[in-house]
Amino acid sequence: MSIEPTEKLTPMDGSAIAKWLTIIAPFLGLIFVIATFAILTGAPGKYLSPFNIRIVLSQTVIVAISAIGMTLIIVSGGIDLSVGSTIGLSGVVTALGINAGYDPTIAVMAGICMGGVVGFVNGAVITTLRVVPFIATLGMLGIARGVAKWIANQEPVNVAPTWINDLVVTFPNPPWLLLAPGVWIAILLAIVMAIVFRNTIFGRRAFAIGSNEAAARACGISTDKLRIWIYTISGLFFGLSGVMQMSRLRQGDPTVAAGTELDVIAAVVIGGGSLNGGQGTVLGAMIGALIMAFLRNGCQQMGWANYVQEIIIGSIIIIAVAFDRLQSRRA
Amino acid sequence: MKKLGILSFILFVVFAIGCSTPKTGAKKFTIAVIPKGTTHPFWKSVNAGAVKAAADAKAQGVDIDLIWKGPLREDDREQQIQVVEGFVSQGVSGIVLAPLDSKALVRPVEEAKKAGIPTAIIDSALESDQITSFAATDNKKGGNMAAERLGQLLGGKGKVIMLRYLEGSASTTDREEGFLEVMKSKFPGVELISIDQYAGATRDTAKRASENLLQRFGDQVNGVFASNESASTGMLLALQDINRAGKVTFVGFDATPQFLDAMKNGQMQGIVVQSPFAIGELGVKAMIDTLLGKPVEKRIDTGVMMITPDNMNSPEAQKLLNPPV
Repeated sequence: MSIEPTEKLTPMDGSAIAKWLTIIAPFLGLIFVIATFAILTGAPGKYLSPFNIRIVLSQTVIVAISAIGMTLIIVSGGIDLSVGSTIGLSGVVTALGINAGYDPTIAVMAGICMGGVVGFVNGAVITTLRVVPFIATLGMLGIARGVAKWIANQEPVNVAPTWINDLVVTFPNPPWLLLAPGVWIAILLAIVMAIVFRNTIFGRRAFAIGSNEAAARACGISTDKLRIWIYTISGLFFGLSGVMQMSRLRQGDPTVAAGTELDVIAAVVIGGGSLNGGQGTVLGAMIGALIMAFLRNGCQQMGWANYVQEIIIGSIIIIAVAFDRLQSRRA
Repeated sequence: MKKLGILSFILFVVFAIGCSTPKTGAKKFTIAVIPKGTTHPFWKSVNAGAVKAAADAKAQGVDIDLIWKGPLREDDREQQIQVVEGFVSQGVSGIVLAPLDSKALVRPVEEAKKAGIPTAIIDSALESDQITSFAATDNKKGGNMAAERLGQLLGGKGKVIMLRYLEGSASTTDREEGFLEVMKSKFPGVELISIDQYAGATRDTAKRASENLLQRFGDQVNGVFASNESASTGMLLALQDINRAGKVTFVGFDATPQFLDAMKNGQMQGIVVQSPFAIGELGVKAMIDTLLGKPVEKRIDTGVMMITPDNMNSPEAQKLLNPPV
């Protein structure tokens, strides 16, 4: 492993460059992944074609939008294991809304709000019943999945075509959009949330309770209330992911996205988020999501078996976090 | 964090050296086969059939590069969509797909067609007219055969229960309708005492449904039909538990070692068996013909067979029960 020049520089210069490197490290990882596969496939033109990029970006939308919400939760020192179930539930609610004859916009709102409700319950259980987030959301993983199957009558809810179906297609309509509307929505939300983290009291407080909850409370932050808000807002993002999932499947499938929460957590962690809280960026999480999507796409183009990509992604998660630890211990 | 990039690069190079295969210059078709899952024996047989079709084509001078890839998480529709999309951007010559859902996979298949890549469907239907062919078991015929067998064994009289599989499952509904059709038309003397109960998705739910049914009708029932592997297993276990196995004429669907034992012990009198090998072989053959510009049948029957205690050791039965994997 080549060592970056940072460690040979003076402490001041070193820390400045190290900070800068922390920000761009996930970027470098992504570029390496893309470059490596572009070379390996032997057809860089095809791998980097607008067509393939469009496909990968559309495939990333669901994990990316959820990763924005998950960043908020992880930064505040929490975790949410119920993301996959919430996606399934929100998709079913959206589909049922359309079938009940509501305007698609209303159905989409209902799907998003369903996610918010699940998040609110998570936050309430964590703060009022004092159940640790891991357990509270583990319980919700089962509850939300069960409710989804229940209201969907245990089978996928098929819907008539509406504009919702065009949210995450490969060929956007109209073509001048270049990317599917869902991709633009994800980019926009990522920018908005990055600003919220950096420039709002809410964002700073989320970091504060993640870094040191007792200190945050001592500073007069109402931590319970804040935590409920964090889970509710994140839930809205998971709900939107559910809408996107419904759009891709063109049906509300109550069994879909089982295990997606792990992809989402991995995206945040690869992007520099720390499960101890107080650390993580939206940009990093987006890059993390893209790294995994390009990896999957690349492994498939190479004709590698599923187990190869599972091993690679697993290894990258461990390595990313291990080096994060190593660095923070040295600092 | 800052070493992540370098590390992932090293990891990639290692994998690249380990896994990349040299590209040959010969001109050939690349066909991607996408099953519903990769670990179930059923799909391993489909794979074996696909490989045979490719080998046959090779013998006739058509070089086929076969890629076999299922969804990363088995039975996850989103993951299967991603696999289809990946092959489209990779630019394979054709796709052979066993769709996890008749509607959810329509968009990626039609987008593939738009990108100039034809898709042949195997095993389960896809609600699209943009496909080249559909190779699958004729499930209705399978149901007909089950009714013939059960009706004959009962001598055209007695009380019969039919255990359905799952609401909304197209293939098993066809079997059930096929069963009822022949039962009602050819064996009017048989009384159908329960035909509306569902076994549910797993063996466990199937066993519970069977127990409830037998609790109600157990002492009067003469014949039973269950429409798939899990429903048949649940029914068999329930019959064994109440000591009625062997006393009731029981025809099931699909083959497992457990059913073969039950047939040897006289607890089952027949199983309808499909041919996953033929599904893989005929599906890939249809795609090769399409790519060669030959005409292809829209609906290809991959065959079903009634396996009984008498014929279970015959070569035809053995070919289906122990397909060359």
